[in-house]
This record gives sequence, C-alpha cells and structure tokens, in this order.
Amino acid sequence: MKEATLRQILVVTDGCSNSGISPVAAATLAREQGITVNVIGVVEKGDMGEQGEKEIREIAEAGGGLFDIVYPQQLAQTVQMLTRKAMTRTIHQVVSKELKEILGDSAMEGLVPEKRVQVAGMVDELGERSRLDVVMLVDSSGSMKPKLAAVQQAIHDFSISLRSRSGQSRMAVCSFPGKQNHLDVRIPWTEEVDQAHQLTSGLTMSGITPTGPAIIEAIALFEHVKLPTGLRDRYGHNELEDGDQGSLRDHVF
Amino acid sequence: MSFNRAIPKLPPQFRGKWNQKTYHVLRELGRGANGAVYLVSQDGVRRAVKIGAEGMDILMEVHALKSVQQGRDARVTVAPLLCDVDDLYIDGRSCTFYAMEYLDGEQLDQFVQRTGTDWVPVLIIQLLARLVVLHQRGWVFGDLKPENVIVTRADSQVRLIDFGGVTKHGCAVRQFTEEYDRAAWHAGDRRAEPAYDLFSLAVMTVRLASSPEVWKSSRTEPRQTSLLCDIIRNNDSLYPFRVPLIKAFHGQYAGAEEMKSDMLAIVQGRTTAVQQKKASGSGSSGIWIGGLFVASMLLLAGTLYYAWMM
Repeated sequence: MKEATLRQILVVTDGCSNSGISPVAAATLAREQGITVNVIGVVEKGDMGEQGEKEIREIAEAGGGLFDIVYPQQLAQTVQMLTRKAMTRTIHQVVSKELKEILGDSAMEGLVPEKRVQVAGMVDELGERSRLDVVMLVDSSGSMKPKLAAVQQAIHDFSISLRSRSGQSRMAVCSFPGKQNHLDVRIPWTEEVDQAHQLTSGLTMSGITPTGPAIIEAIALFEHVKLPTGLRDRYGHNELEDGDQGSLRDHVF
Repeated sequence: MSFNRAIPKLPPQFRGKWNQKTYHVLRELGRGANGAVYLVSQDGVRRAVKIGAEGMDILMEVHALKSVQQGRDARVTVAPLLCDVDDLYIDGRSCTFYAMEYLDGEQLDQFVQRTGTDWVPVLIIQLLARLVVLHQRGWVFGDLKPENVIVTRADSQVRLIDFGGVTKHGCAVRQFTEEYDRAAWHAGDRRAEPAYDLFSLAVMTVRLASSPEVWKSSRTEPRQTSLLCDIIRNNDSLYPFRVPLIKAFHGQYAGAEEMKSDMLAIVQGRTTAVQQKKASGSGSSGIWIGGLFVASMLLLAGTLYYAWMM
C-alpha cells in the first residue's frame, strides 16, 4: 500500500475566538480538504470557562480531530498524544471505509475480535509509516503570554517526537494574530526545529483572537489545497511556497 | 487527560458478545492513559479486565501483548497472559475489552518503600531480565515507570503491566511519561530501541533509591542528567552502581543483557566483600548484611531460574 500523507492543524489556545469567520466553520472547511483539526486548550488554573470549552470541543468535532484542556506543564506530552491518537483515528476511518466497501455495512463491528486485533496492528503500522504534516497554530493574544515558554518547549519536544517516527514528518509553526495577516509563519515547514528558536521574540500581542481566519490561512500552507476563489482573496495571501522537497530552511524569527 | 471520550463504566456483571464468557466485577484496579483496569471473576478465576475510551487503542494493546507472547519459548512470561478479547454493550454502544491474567502484587515503588532500598538492585536486575526477552522479540516497553511494574505478592517476582507503550523496534515510542523519557531529559530521541528502555530504567533506579525530597529537587527545568549524577554521587546505595547507571544515561549499552551483567557483578562483588568483612570480625552492621544476604540469595535464585529458562 502506498504511504499516505496525514495532514493536521493543531490549534493551541486559551480562550474564545472573537474575530472573523467562525472557527467551527473554518475547521469544517479544513476537514473537507482532508486536514484534521486538533485543539489544545491551555489553562493556568481552574478551567476554560464554559464558552471556551464548548468552542474547543466544537472545533475539534467539526475538524474530525481531538481536543484536550491541560495545564502548561502537560502541554508537551499532550501534543504528542493528541497527534498520535488523531492519526490513528484518521487511518482507522480510512481502513473502516475500505472494509465497508469489501464486506458491507458495520464491517469493523462485524469482524471477530481476533481479526480486529490484526486490523489494529495494520493501522498502527500505517500510522508509523505515513507521511505526517502538522501546522501548529499558536494563539498569541495577550493572555497567552505567560504560557508561551511552555508552548515553545512543546514545539521543540514535538519536533523530537516527529524525528523519531519512521515515516517522513514535517511541521510548521504559526502564531495568530499576525502583523499584517491573520497569522504569521514563525517556523516554515521543517523536519527539525532548532532548539535556539524563540517563539516570544517579535510577537504581536493583541486582544484579538482570530482563530477562524487563522485556521483558513493555515489550510493554505498545505500545498495540496487550493482555496475557493473568494476565500483565497481574503485569506490566501500568506501562501508559503514549500521548502523544496522538504529540505531544511532557516527559521524566520 | 480527557481526549474527548470518557472511559465507559463497566456494569457489575457482563457477558462478552462473541466468546460468551461471563464476568463479575470485583473492583477497579487502576487507570492508565488508554483505559481502566478492573479486577473481575470469571468462572471463579480472578482476572484483570481492561476497557478503554477508544476501541482501537485497546486492540493495539492486544496486538502488542499477543506479539510479545508469540515465540518459541512461551514459558518466559514477559507480559500478563492474554485470556480473552471481546465486546460488550454499554449504553447501547459496543465497547472492546480484554481479559488477562491477574497479577496479585504491589506497585514497584510501594514495594521498595515497604521493604527498603536494599531491594532496588535485585528488582532492577530482574527487570533487566524481562527486558532482555522483550527486546529479543523485537519490542521496546516504552513507558517504563514504577506504576507499570508489579512485584508479585506470592513470590516477589517483577512483572511488567500496562502494555500501552509497547512499541516495535525502530518506531516512535507510542506512549511515555516525561519523568522517565529520554527526550524530556535531553538525552536523545524517542525512537524505540533497547537503550530507550535502559535510560528509563536508570532514572527509575535513582528515583526508587532516593528520598522523595531529594527526588523532587532534581525536577528543575530543564531536565538534565547531570542532576541525576549528583544524586548518585551523594547516595550510598546508588554510588556503587554509578558506572552502569551513567552508561545507561548516555546510551552506551547496546542491550539489556550487558547492563544486567554489569549490575550483577557489582551486587555479587559487594556482597562478597561484605561477607569477608563479617568473617574478619566486624559484625556491627549485622542487619544491613542480613538484608544483603537475603538479597543475594534471591538474586542467586533468580539467576538460576533464568539460566534454567533460557
């Protein structure tokens, strides 16, 4: 079987969006384009508030992904776990669909557990060997400032996890809101994040949280996607030419 | 951590959809990253049943458990024996569970707390023997930590539980705990290889032989293995094992066998030295020597046991 490419957007935020297109609609569009959207809510203490939690859940559901709400010190491990689980889920869905075509409805549930264990082994292996492209979308609105050190550590840690995979992996890191656009590309597509990279330098701190528009712009970073004309005019200007065949490039600070 | 779906709650009694085995739930044993484990009774036999939020995670664990148990020499038990894989309906939803051999015992750290740090090298050597077999079969344990190791009540044997992190050699470790994770300590990546497990094992050794206060003091950011070396230097029960521990931190062991024989040599050498000392008439540390003697006897028994098994 040809190794597929799994595409994910991982939103790291601490509150509700308050500008532009609904993030749930944006996540729906991403999913439509074959991109899974995962969301991690980072909280200092207590919880996110009902509204924030609801939005996070709805973005993940619409984006076919997973969500979690964690403290900054849990962030690094959560990023790895969430990404892996979402990958497994995506592959599982593809495999189930194929099985359904061969075996008819309720194919997976209809299999004896022994056979399903074999399918699980296959899903696991496919997950390990697939290509993986992840865009990390970091909310840099004012309230996130004290959490950015943890985010930065999580980025570096995630880079190690990706490097440890058998399949080819790339990641890009963006912060939103950006200076001119809805997001700024902080680290273009790379296979390895430099430890010296500083996320906090030159950040635009503001009260605006344009989560939806940022997701739309992030979709454009996956070069396989062509945005619909209307959206491209509004959001597509940040398009990032792929670092030729995934070769390493210097980070933009 | 939530990951959206809650772990389904087992009813007090249930029957598997496919294999029709009936289980009575006795109590919850614990929770891991992928699900909850319950003590159950099936036809009067005690078993452990694991159920998770995501059926696929449970099936992957079963896959690892089964692969580990395959092989020519099934007598060497590295994993709890798998007894059943089946589905049950909870609130109209089909959930996958598996049943395995129930290991009645104590969590590794609690055992050490109760019996004393004299036991640590013995337990670590036993664990290394388990890892030798696991690695030979092409798997790496991944999430090695005291919570995932049990010392059986009946015969003080070390057993690995929770196979959620078990990863095929060469793949990215599926599940880990930062405290014991090589990458979190900035000492390498997360590629599954024997050295990854040995690193976790060495951190675990330091943790088990240190007082909670000392251990806590090592947890400054960023994590650095030099902090662990400081602890070893200042700890009388760890100091004799500094060479194998530091080699494991630096990934200098190709396999668990090598580390095991280094550890063994130190334990045996130390015991002999102490006994000679005793024979020459300085019997002041009698209790300590007694502990060591018990430990060395057990170790000898363990070695013979494994020699016979191999």
